[in-house]
Parts: sequence; C-alpha cells; structure tokens
Amino acid sequence: MTDPLALEPILGPTERGRPAFNDDLSHDERFALFEAHIADGLKIEATDWMPDEYRTAVLRFVEMHANSELMGVLPEREWLMRAPTLRRKLALTAKVQDEVGHAQLLYRVAEDLGKTREAMFDDLLAGKTKFHNVFHYPTVGWADVGMIAWLVDAAAIVAQQALRDSSYAPYARTMRKICWEESVHIMHGRDVVVTMVTGTAGQRAAIQDALDRWWGPLMQMHGPRSARDTDRDLHWKIKAKTSEELRQEFLTIYVPRIRELGLVIPDLELRYDETAGTWLYADPDWAELRTVVTNHGPMSEQRLAFRRLAREETRWVRESILGVPATA
Amino acid sequence: MTAKHVPGTAAPELVAWEVFRREKDGDPMRHGGSVMAPDAELAVHYARELYGRRQESVRLWVVRRADIVDLDDPDLLQPPLDRLYKKPGGYVMRDKLAAARAQAGQAKPKARSK
Amino acid sequence: MTATASAPTTALAGLLLAVADDEFVIGFSDSEWTGIAPLLEEDVAMSSLAQDELGHAAALYGLLAELTGTDADAIAYDREPGAYRHCRLLDHGRGDWAMTIARRYLYDTADGVRLEAMVGGSWAPLADLAGKLAREERYHRMHAGAWLDRLARDGGEGRERVLAALAELAPDAATVFTPLPDEPALLEAGVLTASSAEMERRWRAGISPTFERLGLPMPPPARDPGRGRLDHGEAFRWLWSEFTMVRRSDPGATW
Repeated sequence: MTDPLALEPILGPTERGRPAFNDDLSHDERFALFEAHIADGLKIEATDWMPDEYRTAVLRFVEMHANSELMGVLPEREWLMRAPTLRRKLALTAKVQDEVGHAQLLYRVAEDLGKTREAMFDDLLAGKTKFHNVFHYPTVGWADVGMIAWLVDAAAIVAQQALRDSSYAPYARTMRKICWEESVHIMHGRDVVVTMVTGTAGQRAAIQDALDRWWGPLMQMHGPRSARDTDRDLHWKIKAKTSEELRQEFLTIYVPRIRELGLVIPDLELRYDETAGTWLYADPDWAELRTVVTNHGPMSEQRLAFRRLAREETRWVRESILGVPATA
Repeated sequence: MTAKHVPGTAAPELVAWEVFRREKDGDPMRHGGSVMAPDAELAVHYARELYGRRQESVRLWVVRRADIVDLDDPDLLQPPLDRLYKKPGGYVMRDKLAAARAQAGQAKPKARSK
Repeated sequence: MTATASAPTTALAGLLLAVADDEFVIGFSDSEWTGIAPLLEEDVAMSSLAQDELGHAAALYGLLAELTGTDADAIAYDREPGAYRHCRLLDHGRGDWAMTIARRYLYDTADGVRLEAMVGGSWAPLADLAGKLAREERYHRMHAGAWLDRLARDGGEGRERVLAALAELAPDAATVFTPLPDEPALLEAGVLTASSAEMERRWRAGISPTFERLGLPMPPPARDPGRGRLDHGEAFRWLWSEFTMVRRSDPGATW
C-alpha cells in the first residue's frame, strides 16, 4: 500500500519535465541525451538546446518547404486571372492564398530557428537554397491547373501527413494545420479534372496531355530512393518516411483514381506487384530532377526573376512602412 | 483596435506577435501561432487572416512576443520532491477498501448506471 | 422572383450590373497581388479582400441572373469589354501598392455609402444582400484606412506615392456615383433610398475629415460624369482578355 505522504526519492533529471540536454553539461553529454530524447519519440521546441547538425538539418528542411510553397504560387497565379467561372476563380484564389499562408507559417518556423525572412528570400533568389522540382515547370492551360491542384497537391500531402509527428514540434504543429487546410485543395483539383474529363473532346484531350507532361515530375517529386539507415533527416525524426515509402503511398491511392477516369498514365512499366507488395515503375529521370532543382528547369530562372522584380517593386513598402531592415 | 502606429515617433519595426484563438463558445484561448507586424493594428488584421479567415475562430488575441513573460524553470514547475498528496493518484485505496469490506462482510456495491 | 411593382426589371438589372461589375473588376485587379504583396501576411490579407469582392460579385450576378432568367457566369464572362458597366475608377491598372490602397480606399468608402442606400430599400432581396455585404465591407474599410494612414503619414516615399496615386485617380474617383439611366424609377420605387448626387455628398462628407487630417487633396468632381461607367480603356481590355481567355478557348464547355 502506498502511504500518500511518503516522500519519494528525488526524481532524476529526465523525469523533471524539461529535457536534460538543456542543462549545463558537456557538449558530448548533451548530444547523447538529445539523441536519446529523439530516439524515444520526444519533441524539441524552439527554445531547446540543439546540436548544430540538428538545427541545420531542420532549418534546411523547413526552408526548402517554405520556399516551395512560395514558388508554388507562381505556376497557378497566371491562371488565377483566367479562371473560367466565378466559382473556380474563388476556389483557385483561396487555394493560392492558402499556399501563401503556408509559406508564412513555414517561414515563421524557420525564422524562430534564427534565420531572418529577408535572408531566406536573399538565398532563394540567389539560387543558394532550393524549391521542389514541380514548381520549375510551365503551366500551359487550365487543365494544368486542375492537374496540379489534384496530383501535385496529393503528392505533397502524402509527404506532409508523414511530417505531422516530426521531432521538431513547431514544424509538426504547423504541418497539422497545413494538412487540415490542404484537404480542400485536392478536392478542388479533382473536381476540375473530372469536369473536364466528362466535358468536350478538347477538354478531355487537354487533361490527358497535362497528365502526360506532369507524370514525370510527379514521380521525381519525392526524391530518389535513400537508405533508411543513412538518411540523417530520418535519424533525427525530422521526417518519418523514406522517399520511396511516400511514392508508394501516392501510387497506391492515386493510380486507381487516375485510371477510373479513363486516363492513361504515361508509364508502360507501371504495375502493382502482388507478391512484392509494391508498385513497379519506370525509373524516374533523376538527372532531370538534379538539373531542375539546381534552377535549370524550364521556368526556374523566369520565375526567380519575376520574384526578384516583385520584391524590388515593393521594397519601399517594407522599408518605410513595415519596418523590415534595408538589406545590403 | 488598439495602438495605432504613429510615424515620426520611432522607426517601424517588424516583430513577432503571438496569436491566441478561441475556436468555439466555451473553449479556452489557445495558442495558434505567430505573425510578423509593425504594430497592434496590423497584427490583428494579420491574425484574422492567418487564424480566422475560414471562420475557424470566434475570438483572437495578439500579444507582442517580447511582452510575454515566460517560465520554464523545472525547479519551479517540476520540483523534485514528491507531491502525490496534491494529486488524485496519491490516494489509491483499493487494498484498504477490500480489507474494510471483508471485515464488514459486505460485497463491493454495483455501479449504478446513470 | 418578382421585381417590385413599380420598378421595372431593366432598372433593377442596370443597378445590379453596375454594382456587380464594380466588385468583379476590383476583385480581379486586387487578386493580381497574390504571391507578390509587400509582406506574406499582407499577401494573405489582400487575397481575402479580393475574394470577398468576387464573392459579392457572384452574389449580385446571381441575383441578376434570377431576375432575368439567365446564368451568373454568362453575365460575368460572356460580354464584350464595352458592355461592362463598372466605374472608371476601377479601370486603372493594379499599379503599385500606393495605387492599390488609394483606389481601395476611394472605392470601399464609396461602396459603403452606396450599400447604405440599398439596405433600407423596398426590394427585399437586394436590401437583404446589401445588409450582408455592408457587414463584410467594414473590414475592407479598416484595412484601407489603416494603410492610407500609414502611407500618408510616412516621412518619405509612401506619402509621395499615395499623392501620385490620388492625382492619377482624381478625374475618376467619384465615378462610383455615376447616375444610372433608370435612377428616377429606382428612387421612386424606393429600391434606392438616396440619389447618386446625395450619395456622393455623403461620401465626401465622410472622407473629408480623414483627408484633412492627413493633408490629402479631396478628389474633384468626376470628369465627364455622364460617361462614368463607359469608355473602359486599355487596362480593362487587357484584364478582359485575361479573364475570358479560358472560357473563349472552348465556348459552351462546362468548367
């Protein structure tokens, strides 16, 4: 029986609610405690001590994500003006607004890790940091708008859902908010695609053409296969799934949904292997991915230039009214 | 709307404001996230946009991050000595009750459904 | 849907088209800031304002569609540029941030007065809708007012630019109050509770304390006021060619 008034022994540091690596210990001790903390599935906040490797890895991960949301606005932005009905215009404006909002949320997470927004924009526009491959390609028509909103967002959501339990708590919380907001986008995209597929011959052809052009980049989007045991982002639990796991998940959900519309996926090798329990597919063009994400994609330079110009045009607002410090 | 920016007094500075929101009637104010703004008037606009444009909040607060008083000292919040006497978990009576019932020849009363 | 007994359908249609076209055009112009506004937070804010205007346009086109037995999207999209009846204030291109704010301020304050004149009106569907729109427009005036203040009181570039914007918009600023052809019928039937001239007076009385405080020149009377909703220029033609592009690519298709 427990005597409630008994004084228990003094609790050890890890049980006192604040992670022990925040205490004044040697770097090696702190590092070991930090690794154990992560391995136990526990979380890190912005004010915690972090090894440089972790801080750098999280910042790079979040920054690329933020950059992608921001650059992702540009392919769809052109078509905002051209949306063919009131309802589509409202839906697309709201969707693109959400992307800007997500950029805000993600840049805030990165800012709290110690890098200013202006420094991040400087690096993005100078080509020093990256954004996802899909946003380096042109959008040639309304069909592309539907395809992107459906499948590119779907591929992104598969990755984002897996990030909701990231070890870096501010990022995990942001991902939960983002996932909640994203679900509507896929529905909008799918609605546009299904409407066009059941529309005129021209509309159907445009959708198939869009799929033909976007399939390659989509398959490259989650990145080349990486070994679980050498992936540092997995080690630190910044992310929880490998590129291949995400790609398989995307294929499992979306291949049937694409085929049920009578669309043909431009990969003759794509099939589900029942025995292996995985999708087999033609090897994505990893050289293309490398070329594109280093800003040599078809629209990379144009879009970066557009952003640079827009930033210059509004510099006076930030410097005189908003109070963002003038950069060199 | 509270404090308006008065240019000419001090150069505007973009700083972080924490946003708290109430989702629905009866809920407490919960931290939602943060926005960058030069003053309270714009901070509230931006909070409404980032945390309320979908009609997902019924009330919002914004507070300059620098004005928040932060406590995370474990000695104060998670002091080491036992405090079970302050918590329900410190009052486990199962064995004592079993002994008392056995002594009184009583069975454990059935829980009444409400 | 019945019009009120004494206001002909054409009169109501003319009013609805003018107001709807105003909201549609400003909504489109402002959505041009998406992704490139001065601050991410402001980008999201401007986008909400644009969506509100488009939502208002959709509601007004919807009312007009019910009244005339047509389709809201057809009304919004399937006219030649010359057939749009938005006011000339909204024909100016997006411009810089100061231009956008100056135009929004002038438009939102004018729209507020116009909505007030419809809220107490005799045609219930419009009076009801105007009541809802008025509540949403308050937020727009808060944003425009906050920014006009900051620009006008800025020591340097902000003030220069907002003055330049007001100067460019000056001949068209009051065109929101262009008298509609069937205005006498609307007034007589009580659909509008004030004439355009009276609305303009109220608008000027409403904004003059702010303009005085900020040392800004009051907008002059509209140039060529009878044509305030006609003669849309190049900037609108460009906008029209953009927003009708997809629709014209496959006429009759469902999107």
